[in-house]
Amino acid sequence: MTSALLLAADPLYAQGVDLTALLITILKVVVAFAFLLVATMLMVWFERKLVSDMQNRIGPNRAGPWGILQTLADGTKLFFKEHINPIRAERRVYVLAPFLSFVPAFLLFCIVPVSGNWANGGDGTVELFGRTTYLQLADPPVGILFALAMSSIAVYGVMLAGWSSGSKYPLLGSVRASAQMVSYEAAMGLSVMAVVLVTGTVSTHGMVASQAGDGLFHVLPNWAVFTTLLVPFVIFVIAGTAELNRPPFDLVEAEQELVAGFNTEYSSIRFALFFLAEFMNTVTMSGIFVTLFLGGPSGPAPIGPAWLWGCIWFFLKTSAFLFMFVWFRATLPRFRYDQLMDLGWKLLIPLSLGWLLMLAAVQLSGQQNWNPVAVGAGVILMFLIGWSLLRSANAKARAVHLGEEVNA
Amino acid sequence: MLAVDTPQYLPENIFFGIIAFIMVVSALRVVTTRNVVHAALWLILVLAGVAGNFILLGNEFVAVTQVLVYIGAIVVLFLFGVMLTRAPIGADAHLDNDQRPLALVVALPLLALMGYVLWDAWKDTKITEAGPPIVASTSVLSDSIFKTYLIPFEAASVLLLAALIGAIVLARRD
Amino acid sequence: MSSYLPVLVLFVLAVAFGLLSLLVSITLSPKARSQAKEAPYECGIVPGREAPERFPVKFFLVAMIFIVFDIEIIFFFPWAVVFRELGGYGLAVIGIFAALVFESFVYLIGNGALEWGPRQRQRRAEIVSPDRTLTSTIRRVGAEGRPAALEPAALAPAAHHAPGHGDHGHGDHGAAA
Repeated sequence: MTSALLLAADPLYAQGVDLTALLITILKVVVAFAFLLVATMLMVWFERKLVSDMQNRIGPNRAGPWGILQTLADGTKLFFKEHINPIRAERRVYVLAPFLSFVPAFLLFCIVPVSGNWANGGDGTVELFGRTTYLQLADPPVGILFALAMSSIAVYGVMLAGWSSGSKYPLLGSVRASAQMVSYEAAMGLSVMAVVLVTGTVSTHGMVASQAGDGLFHVLPNWAVFTTLLVPFVIFVIAGTAELNRPPFDLVEAEQELVAGFNTEYSSIRFALFFLAEFMNTVTMSGIFVTLFLGGPSGPAPIGPAWLWGCIWFFLKTSAFLFMFVWFRATLPRFRYDQLMDLGWKLLIPLSLGWLLMLAAVQLSGQQNWNPVAVGAGVILMFLIGWSLLRSANAKARAVHLGEEVNA
Repeated sequence: MLAVDTPQYLPENIFFGIIAFIMVVSALRVVTTRNVVHAALWLILVLAGVAGNFILLGNEFVAVTQVLVYIGAIVVLFLFGVMLTRAPIGADAHLDNDQRPLALVVALPLLALMGYVLWDAWKDTKITEAGPPIVASTSVLSDSIFKTYLIPFEAASVLLLAALIGAIVLARRD
Repeated sequence: MSSYLPVLVLFVLAVAFGLLSLLVSITLSPKARSQAKEAPYECGIVPGREAPERFPVKFFLVAMIFIVFDIEIIFFFPWAVVFRELGGYGLAVIGIFAALVFESFVYLIGNGALEWGPRQRQRRAEIVSPDRTLTSTIRRVGAEGRPAALEPAALAPAAHHAPGHGDHGHGDHGAAA
């Protein structure tokens, strides 16, 4: 079963790549590209408007109806702004850094299934110009690991921008940011692994397919958020927010300390590219949340074409997360750096590791008829030992830390 | 070691040529550039080329490992090390030293040896098929990790332990 | 391989988009260079000191620990794909592996590798403890990276006063000096 799901690849290329397949690919890419740009633009507006509402302000309301064109106006303005080349900057890396930041942001979107015919046992394919294909750009066999790879490349944009600016605030900001992104990547990877465990596949298309049916008691959908028992979802959302450097994890641009963080020395369109990458990543990350844990575009399709319903479900689910991101920003105060590191390393990573092993034990005990009491006892024992080890290590570290301060 | 020269594999051969060229050029730049950070960036290109070749060979899992571990972690560590101590912006005159002849003496025989071994092992073998069905390779890999190479796999965790102890020793004050 | 075709196309499109907007912006934007604009941004103050030369080694440690966890995740992945076929054997194998890595992680935490915070529960009595002399305080801030010329001048008073005044009151003199 596992390998059958694994073998799922876009049927578009089943007979090799001919001209029609190439043209369909290009069409899909161009549509996705335009969609991403528009979605990013709207996300910026949505965030500003919503935060204004939450803070009892009006927010942008001049350009277009409800200020919806504000981002477009701002973007256009940035085209006409001067390019300032800081005198201490390392020119080549300075120019390269924005590209390292926004190209991975685009590529990340490749693996998100946007729609498809999922209702009533559909396999998520649609007919496009006489060809059967997925409504997602690419479904590489490495699947979700592609997303992890892209987000590990995105670290370079932040890191090199700060270093190449030749100024102290960007350098401090980028060192902070890259250490933070690196820290939360591990927790992210481990919670993704929980979804792989439950759905039995790494391809994002396969993940959506295995979440499409009915779940528990035919009431709840078969979403991974339920089948992984909620914890990996929470960990992934926290780690994802930290990976995006969004509030409450936005220490990178703590304006009281670091001006604007790693992109302080960037102006004009080069700044716009960083800004674009940031918000595009927010949109894509919401899409990945939905794909991994909320069944992607799957959902009932009462009337009309099923792919349209897929789009609608995907849009609704993604918007919920976008709203959540803005809500976080309006509500939560910023973390302190040590709190951030403690949360990532001492709580999220051990917890996701233990949860992964627990899920595997539970799944296997169902399959192989192990004694549930023994499995439960083993799991509880594992968590207890892990927790007490961590606790004593923490206490010791604190004591050493204090001693160092007094006796140094 | 190109794939069979049939039109079917033409794209693979073209991409291999492009990737190989990029890799050779960037590998040279790694050692000739006078800026440590630039050297690290060229190294990323070399490693990305290796990942690309793995994809061409149909082993995607190894390719993604290459990106995640080497590009995403190890070069990041290099850059951290360089940036956190001293990374002068611009060229560093002291980066090069006058041991080129010695380096040549070491590098050329190594190149010859490795080249000979490769040639000897493969002669003019051509990669006939595109390997096993591309995607099944991950489960094949899992089988060999958890059955054939079980002891090395568990030993790897001890190696990681050693690495962490090394890290602690590095970071100690005394 | 062909499943990477869209990725390649999107990559080309994204790079082209970036280059094009850069090009358009360079032609459209005004050019008025000035020294003040190109100086490093310091909130309006004329830049003085260099960017810090050294950072806490903990950042480096974080990157190092991350490699370990990255490798662990990479090993978990093939297991997660076939864990149903491997059954209890696979769980035991990966459990031992995870336990070993976790144990080294605990060792790391116990050694304070991941302590970032300000010293908590620190009372005033500890801050002015007799152990804290001017010499030790300066060393803690990090005299290692500074030019050597500064050190004798800064340290001289403490070094000269200390033997004469006995053990009590180091801290006070240090502060006065």
